[in-house]
Amino acid sequence: MSENFRSTETKFLDKTNRISFKYNGKKYYGYKGDTLASALLSNGVHLIGRSFKYHRPRGIMTCGSEEPNAIVQIGGNGPFTEPNVRATEQEIYEGLEASSQNCWPNVKFDVGGINNFISPVIPAGFYYKTFMWPKKLWYSLYEPAIRMSAGLGKSPTQPDPELYDHNYLHCDVLVVGGGISGIIAASISADNGNNTVLIDDKNSLGGSTIFQDDENFKIDDEISSVWLNNQIKNIKNKKNLIIKHRTSLAAYHSYNYLLARENLGDHKSLNERSNKLRQRLWKIRAKKVILATGSIERPLIFNNNDRPGVMLANSVKKYIDYFGVRCGNKNVIFTNNDSAYETAISLNKKGINVTIVDIRNYSSSILVKNAKNAGIKIYWNHTVVDTKGYRRIKSIQIMEMSNDGTNVIGSKINLVCDNLSISGGWTPMVHLFTQSGGKLKFRDSDQVFLPNIAMSDQISIGSCNGNFELDDIIKNTISDCKNFLSSSTTDFDLIKVSCPKQKENKNIWLLPNDKPLGKTKPFLDFQNDSTAKDIKLAMREGFRSIEHVKRYTTTGMGTDQGKLANMHALGIISETAGVKMGSLGTTTFRPPYTPLTFGTIVGRNVGTFFDITRKTPMHAWHENHKAKFENVGQWKRAWFYPKGNENMDQSVQRESKAARESAGILDASTLGKIDIKGTDASEFLNRVYTNAWSKLGIGKCRYGLMLNEDGMVYDDGVTTRLSENHYLMTTTTGGAANVLSKLEDYLQTEWPELDVWLTSVTDHFATASVCGPNSKNILKKLFPNIEFNDETFPHMSFKNAELDGIHCRIMRISFTGEHSYEINIESKYGKSLWEKCMDAGKEFNITPYGTETMHLLRAEKGFIIVGQDTDGTMTPIDLQMDWIVSKKKYDFIGKRSLYRSDTMREDRKQLVGLLTDNPSEILEEGAQIVQDEKKQPIEMLGHVTSSYFSPNLNKSIALAVVKNGKKLKGQKLLVPMKDKTIKVTVSDFIFFDSKNERLNA
Amino acid sequence: MFIITCPFCGERDQSEFSAGGEAHIVRPKQPTELSDDEWADFLFMRKNIKGIQFERWNHAHGCRKWFNVVRDTSNDKIYAVYKMGEKPPSN
Amino acid sequence: MLNINYPKIEKKEFPNLELNLVEPIHKLNLRGKNRDFFTKAGKILSIMLPTESNTSATIKNISALWLSPDEWLIYGKDIDKNLMLSLDSEISKLNLGSVTDVSDQWVLINMKGKNVFEVLSKGSPFDFNKFKNTKNVVVQTLLNHVDVILHHNDTNNVDLFVRKSFSEHLWLWINDSSSFL
Repeated sequence: MSENFRSTETKFLDKTNRISFKYNGKKYYGYKGDTLASALLSNGVHLIGRSFKYHRPRGIMTCGSEEPNAIVQIGGNGPFTEPNVRATEQEIYEGLEASSQNCWPNVKFDVGGINNFISPVIPAGFYYKTFMWPKKLWYSLYEPAIRMSAGLGKSPTQPDPELYDHNYLHCDVLVVGGGISGIIAASISADNGNNTVLIDDKNSLGGSTIFQDDENFKIDDEISSVWLNNQIKNIKNKKNLIIKHRTSLAAYHSYNYLLARENLGDHKSLNERSNKLRQRLWKIRAKKVILATGSIERPLIFNNNDRPGVMLANSVKKYIDYFGVRCGNKNVIFTNNDSAYETAISLNKKGINVTIVDIRNYSSSILVKNAKNAGIKIYWNHTVVDTKGYRRIKSIQIMEMSNDGTNVIGSKINLVCDNLSISGGWTPMVHLFTQSGGKLKFRDSDQVFLPNIAMSDQISIGSCNGNFELDDIIKNTISDCKNFLSSSTTDFDLIKVSCPKQKENKNIWLLPNDKPLGKTKPFLDFQNDSTAKDIKLAMREGFRSIEHVKRYTTTGMGTDQGKLANMHALGIISETAGVKMGSLGTTTFRPPYTPLTFGTIVGRNVGTFFDITRKTPMHAWHENHKAKFENVGQWKRAWFYPKGNENMDQSVQRESKAARESAGILDASTLGKIDIKGTDASEFLNRVYTNAWSKLGIGKCRYGLMLNEDGMVYDDGVTTRLSENHYLMTTTTGGAANVLSKLEDYLQTEWPELDVWLTSVTDHFATASVCGPNSKNILKKLFPNIEFNDETFPHMSFKNAELDGIHCRIMRISFTGEHSYEINIESKYGKSLWEKCMDAGKEFNITPYGTETMHLLRAEKGFIIVGQDTDGTMTPIDLQMDWIVSKKKYDFIGKRSLYRSDTMREDRKQLVGLLTDNPSEILEEGAQIVQDEKKQPIEMLGHVTSSYFSPNLNKSIALAVVKNGKKLKGQKLLVPMKDKTIKVTVSDFIFFDSKNERLNA
Repeated sequence: MFIITCPFCGERDQSEFSAGGEAHIVRPKQPTELSDDEWADFLFMRKNIKGIQFERWNHAHGCRKWFNVVRDTSNDKIYAVYKMGEKPPSN
Repeated sequence: MLNINYPKIEKKEFPNLELNLVEPIHKLNLRGKNRDFFTKAGKILSIMLPTESNTSATIKNISALWLSPDEWLIYGKDIDKNLMLSLDSEISKLNLGSVTDVSDQWVLINMKGKNVFEVLSKGSPFDFNKFKNTKNVVVQTLLNHVDVILHHNDTNNVDLFVRKSFSEHLWLWINDSSSFL
């Protein structure tokens, strides 16, 4: 049985709830409320992982989200596995499995540890410099080798089985951080009548004050932790206040839009969380934001400052005072400030051996006096020059410093210890403030960046705003919140606070050593293994910008984003370059503040909800008849209907033949439909289409081409004149929403004088398109009261009709070149209409066809598909559709652009037909077209836009856009493919029934 | 994601809107009278300012009305919102 | 006889939430802006079309929802073919504005119970804080990226209109979200 380091009682853990967990395969015990870090420390486990580059043994350094070293893999090999989890944040649960990362074969003996001994030859920029040549080795040798050693944990290889959700939240005031200042702020805000939300990333509120049990820190004559505990009880009953635990802010965008991740399941066993949400992403819109994100203790930068057992002083205090765990039996505290003395006193009170090394000459603080009175030995004006111990710190060596702090003097003193608690002062957490666009200022006295100018309605309070002493924190929080929330009185107006004041400040970014810098390893970024000497090397090589130094040395680029040591990097750069730190600026803090799992970002937008799907009223019929579907925008359209073992090609050939030989039926419900009413409806159509509309007779249909103002084809479709001032416009499936929006735009902004009303009726109508020589016979059966002959119901006309008493609109229009009808009916009858058509068409072998056959049939006729044969660079003239462009109309959208010098060029790319010399060879859509393969560089004349094998012509046909194509008719061109070159001849693009005889067949 | 105050519907999330480019570019009443250069100026030339820009926005997923917005493109701060046909604020 | 088919939407109950398909029900889109339009519409429907943004007016079983300064959605059990015909002949045909039958353009889903706004807040960026405490208010917004019209006609009772082609997808999403309250 190993030694138990849980030495003191603590009210923060549920000692009746003992929990077992596994770490690197070995079973350990902790209590409910423990983090993995505190539970491991209570079992005497300090060695957690290996560092990224040198594979040095590393241990737990902190107790929060800033942890650089103690990152572990959670959850074995299964789908639940997750890399890079901070042991300092992960709560333990029954059955938790965790393991070390970045080590092989194991954390105690790691082969990669060799890197530590060859470190002199792998400095910053090593990879950039070394693997440059010979270049050909990159793919075969360098990249595979680097990839194998890169990365920290293992990504899961199976889909994430857990559930994640998103939720919007709107509030008056959002308070971020549940430390003492956040609690006071939330309390004031809620009392002032604001809907307030308080979020905190821990499982309980109180920050570090909740375990501050020192007679020197008093609020209203109570010890600070006692006072705070009562406040927490109070706010839980406040009506306007929502408190969210285990919720960490990930991003703070402009307009007070914030993303927060709430952890609902990570602290629960897999059984407890099955079928429940694991995490929820809150999308918060707050009228006002109060940031109380606190501060992070700084490390000190000295030789070998990274060994397991080297920890931040305040974290050591939290482990003993909050978790009841001692981090060692012989502690040395190494500090440049008074706050670390709180840790010393705490440890001393619990009977743990403490020695203090302080780089200052003296301090007049009451805390220091108390430490002295308790008999704690203090080495003033000393620094640590080295540490010993491979898997755990065993001893340190300290030396006296010269008066200016740049050198060490005298002889080394060896101190045996198993814990070194370091404190280099405090860094306000301004990440979120700067994410929101805020500008920082630099305070020279204690060398901190502080919030200065905010871009939205927000304030920062407490230590993230540079208030480090209890009385400042409380009093400034109260007065700042009163101002910010316009509250005249609060419960805290008469508050009394007493606390020790920080007296003497001394800061040295890189502590002096007896050895030259090159022989030491003073780590700055513990996760990425960058040292002070890497920073200096980068500067010697000419890097000056902090952003460049960061990328060259990788300082601050780990999963912790350099929360601990970015300030030291800046400090060393400014000292070396001789510029003021305030003028240097910081690197950019980008979201997320702590890593988010993809599941949280995606939420429920997985599987069915990955994308929106739209279905036609006949969808169920298509599904029942085994249709394959094609995505057209958000629509699911029937693509083809395979019979038996048919493949797509066979289905399409069969469907195409049937449609031309007897009868076919297409679900055309997806076409956009816009109802147009108003006395200026005809004038409006004149302005938006290239052709003329005023003379279109009532009950007649006309094909229209819509351009953009730049003269390029934008959309097309058939519009029917239902009555004098009433039209029904159809648009392409994909263009429906954009066309309506564009038309509304013109009506609202350019032509507000027009009396025109547009209403979308796309979903109101279902459309079945029946085509083929027998279509007339089928319609006759369905509508016995209608006369179907070319005189009374000619091509391009419309009739109202009734089917079993339900009103239908029948348009005789054709997109296949066949005699055909489109029947529109209220969409709730759509499926039934379709079934009626199938019944009536049975004797004519009516064949349902999908979008693929539709594309083939129209290609035979040379009908364009906007978006397939056009790409926003084709004018109607390029498409050889001059016939549809009115010369008489004074203006229409895009008209003037057709007369620009560029659009009038004769050698523009133009739509042509292509026939392959070998009629069974089918061109690939998108294939490039050339004339002369030998010319260098080869001139690309154009590309194939549509290509099919036509069963009705029994040969391959293609549409293409080709430079100067109109003039190339009859000429041979080449389509070079990967393995061959296909010979083609430029042809007319109407391949089938060029006299349109079948329309009236 | 910013918030836009639609002049008809009030404050809404940006995701309900679509942007329509620079405002106050009037379509010429007599395009045929214009030279290629003048037409190209209307057609293509748009300001892309870092700073205060006059823009058109459409409440696409709301009332579907177009309106004008004065926005600082460097920080997305919106200074004014006004209806089509209304004069832009002078300061 | 032609059969009526609606998207697969059946009555569903969740804790403090009940979902129902309210179909078939007539719906009309009205557009117009002149005084004669308002007078005629008001007279035929016996409702003054609401001119205040985001509001509705309900009399008996007909509701008029404000959609924009010149657009309204009219729906309710008391709308029949005759009413639609007289609106069409006295407004559309006389060119006072436009009346369009959109009964099948939209599918009406009723949501009621304490958790209505909890579910809506999962997919809509709209701030429901004021909305949920006000009756007869209307909002056109996005729900799970789909356009919807929401009519808060009674406490914790919302009529949701979604375009028919999107309705099955949105219905699945509402069901899914309701199971993670």
